[in-house]
Amino acid sequence: MTEKPTMPGPTMIEFRDVQKYYGDYHALRGITAEIRAGEFFSLLGPSGCGKTTLLRTIAGFESISSGVVLIDGKDMAQVPANQRPTNMVFQSYAIFPHLTVAENVGFGLRREAGSREDKARRVTEALEMVGLKGYGARAAHALSGGQRQRVALARALILKPKVLLLDEPLSALDKKMRENMQVELIKLQRQVGITFILVTHDQEEALVMSDRIAVMFEGQIAQLDDPETLYRRPKTRQVADFIGTMNFLPAEVAAQTNEGYSVDVAGLGRCEITEAQAPGAPTGGPASVGFRPETLTILYEGQTTSDRVSEGTVEEVVYYGDMTYYDVKLDGIDTPVRLSMRNLPGRPVLDIRTRTRVSWSPGALVLFR
Amino acid sequence: MKGGTGFRIYAMVYLVFLYAPIVLLPMFAFNNGIIIAFPLQGFTTQWFAALLDDPPLHDAVRNSLIIAVSVSILSTTLGVFAARASTRFNFPFKGPLMGLIMLPLVLPEIIVAVSLLVVLLGLGVSLNILTVILGHVLVCTPFCIAILTSAFQSLDRSLEEAAYDLGETPLSTFRLIILPLVMPGIVSALLISFTISLDEFIIAFFLAGTQATLPVYIFSQFRFPQAVPVIMALGTILVCLSILLLSIAEFFRRRGLARSGAKDTGGFL
Amino acid sequence: MSIGGLFSRIGRSEAASGLAMISPPAIYAILLLAAPLVTILLYSFLTDGYLEIIRQFTLCNYFGPCGTYKMVEGELVQQAQFKGAWSDPLFLTVMLRSLYVSLGVTIATVFLSFPVAYFVSFHVEPSKKSLWLFLITIPFWTSYLIRVFLWKVILGYNGVINSALLGLGIIDEPLQVINYNVGAVIVTLAHAYAPFAILPIFVALEKIDRSLLEAGQDLGESSFTTFLRVTLPLAMPGVVAAVLIVFIPTIGDFVTPQLVGGPEGRLVANLIQLQYLKLDNYPLGSAMAVSAMAVVTAVSLCFLFLNRRFLRGPQS
Repeated sequence: MTEKPTMPGPTMIEFRDVQKYYGDYHALRGITAEIRAGEFFSLLGPSGCGKTTLLRTIAGFESISSGVVLIDGKDMAQVPANQRPTNMVFQSYAIFPHLTVAENVGFGLRREAGSREDKARRVTEALEMVGLKGYGARAAHALSGGQRQRVALARALILKPKVLLLDEPLSALDKKMRENMQVELIKLQRQVGITFILVTHDQEEALVMSDRIAVMFEGQIAQLDDPETLYRRPKTRQVADFIGTMNFLPAEVAAQTNEGYSVDVAGLGRCEITEAQAPGAPTGGPASVGFRPETLTILYEGQTTSDRVSEGTVEEVVYYGDMTYYDVKLDGIDTPVRLSMRNLPGRPVLDIRTRTRVSWSPGALVLFR
Repeated sequence: MKGGTGFRIYAMVYLVFLYAPIVLLPMFAFNNGIIIAFPLQGFTTQWFAALLDDPPLHDAVRNSLIIAVSVSILSTTLGVFAARASTRFNFPFKGPLMGLIMLPLVLPEIIVAVSLLVVLLGLGVSLNILTVILGHVLVCTPFCIAILTSAFQSLDRSLEEAAYDLGETPLSTFRLIILPLVMPGIVSALLISFTISLDEFIIAFFLAGTQATLPVYIFSQFRFPQAVPVIMALGTILVCLSILLLSIAEFFRRRGLARSGAKDTGGFL
Repeated sequence: MSIGGLFSRIGRSEAASGLAMISPPAIYAILLLAAPLVTILLYSFLTDGYLEIIRQFTLCNYFGPCGTYKMVEGELVQQAQFKGAWSDPLFLTVMLRSLYVSLGVTIATVFLSFPVAYFVSFHVEPSKKSLWLFLITIPFWTSYLIRVFLWKVILGYNGVINSALLGLGIIDEPLQVINYNVGAVIVTLAHAYAPFAILPIFVALEKIDRSLLEAGQDLGESSFTTFLRVTLPLAMPGVVAAVLIVFIPTIGDFVTPQLVGGPEGRLVANLIQLQYLKLDNYPLGSAMAVSAMAVVTAVSLCFLFLNRRFLRGPQS
């Protein structure tokens, strides 16, 4: 929805084989990646995957066991958190409860040169930027969740950091508020133009907001790509499973061709798959293919298609209002596949046990090792 | 919950039992008679007047105040270190060290008193106000830690990180963020340790030497029946003072909780 | 500066920062608590000299005939004779009495306190709970000596109870059963330690998930059997803490027995005080103190062992 062209800026942050141990626990297992200036970058993964630890190594709250972290070309090994050109929005927002909103926002200005009036002006500007004009004199502990979030943003941005770090900043908000704040954060990032690094476990949030996403599992980056590539061409089944829903079918690579692979898929027959559809670069032998629910379409009475068609029986119907999810047991496949249909006029919701035709295209398949 | 009436009556009776001695105290303090018994003999303020003309008492009060002020400052300071360490860090021997520091909470005071006495005399230290302070700090620190731990626990760790992230040093973070937020706990700990020290008898009895504290003086007066009404008057003043200090301490403790938004779990312990 | 260790990022590890932070109170406690406790343990195995300690190992402060010696021309000459603590019938009698009193106080305090803690936790509105706790704690903090003395006044031969009963014509002669005996000591101590018992029980009761009680009743228990089968077992950690926190310190009280106990009410703390302050026999006093602590510890450990099944599992 807010797909932005990736801005190829210079490198802002670089990780070179970053390792982190907590005692025996190996939290970061060789992170090597670059984050570009002006980019909205997300670290996505389940809890315990090391995404927050990686963010905190940028902020300087965690030391690394080995490797290098560079910010704007400078090695951060000897730079403590309070001297790094980064600022952070904490998961709990960490609003100082004994200070007013203005004192919170202006907290970081204490050590900067400048007149009192100048600082007050900057606080006012920062509050205006996050839509809290006139809230300066309020007590911080009396704010709502969304307002705390804005104060935390203003407080971090007022110091004009090179990088803004956001640690699950939306997880404490309710669904509606979260969606509003997602849009506001994107606008804010375009407005200030600095690098935003977001930590989240919510794949939808990452897809909506990011220019690029690093998906992490068990201390490693499994895939680093823009949202569309990540969604359409996941490199591993684990990534595919974590981002959205994907059906998997066992398959066998029959031959490697000039364009890609000839694959025998259980129940679907021989499919030709291009190189681009196999980002995980299978070597042959047993493999699997995956496809997203929306790449399958139910063919209603009289509809025809140039795609390939399979027949099956509806086993489960889940109605979502705008969408309906069907679990369809295709002939010749043991496990049902999930597909999704927009509920348009003239498309009645099918009943359980209805026989139906399903169209699909080999071009939508992803081949995994 | 139903069926609370029986419990409520019982709790009321229990409170009467708890407060019986304290209620009797002012009755005899204003009673115009040497003998502490009913019926009362009429109203007088002479026992309070007698307090003004009692130099040994004044010495004892001065000693006790010096001790209580020093003890409250020292034990609160030590308490801040211990509470901060135990709530924020994991370190080797944490359990045994905290256990040792908190031990005086359950150790009979006489054991603390005699063990200190033996060591101090063995080292050739003469007994005076200072030795009482050493002993009192030992028994007051655990109470301070108990109060301060709850104050430090309700501190969100990311508040410190946020201040640090915004350019403050660890020291200025402590001054600007942590200290203001735990201040109510500190005031509460100061008042509680002051009250405990002012009231403590056994350790003072062993370690005071010739410099009697207020409770030691009071204890010595129990031998003289004619001095008892004066002690009742003194006790009345002390109880009022204690209740005042404790109420202030409770006020600060609750304000601290309200400020950090934590739930009140009640009580000092 | 130990505060400098706030962030492990700037140099030191968390363990080092923690140790630096804990060191002032820890060093204080090691020097002024652990070292002295070890010292009295050592003293209890040394020989009593005349106004000094002779560094000669002996067990006689605990068992058998013992003596005070004086060094005369390099030889130890016995000056006086006394019995080791456990060979002294007086010590044994008083120790037994102390145990009896401490157990009595503990049982009385915990039984009398439990309903109050239960009431405050289950029947008082949440907003008024801290007021109740405050009311309960206040007497505990106020002038211990005077409170004990007032119990002497209340229970004494010419005391409040007797004079009131005489004045009302209920009795003709002052009651003697209530004054200057072990019973008076128990009443006074139970009063002094009441908040100590109420608070831990209250805390344990507060932690009980109220839906567990509803579950108990939902499964067919009456409110009384729910109390026995759900509430009480879950409150046991608090009861155990209350028992220990009352039982252990009461053994060391010598003011209460001295003021309200009369000649037959003296307890082991009075003997220890006597040895240290009047007779200057530090080794014997130390042996008595160590013995008393050993007995208390043994009883406490037995009690903990008997209640071990309530103390398992997550309590925090």
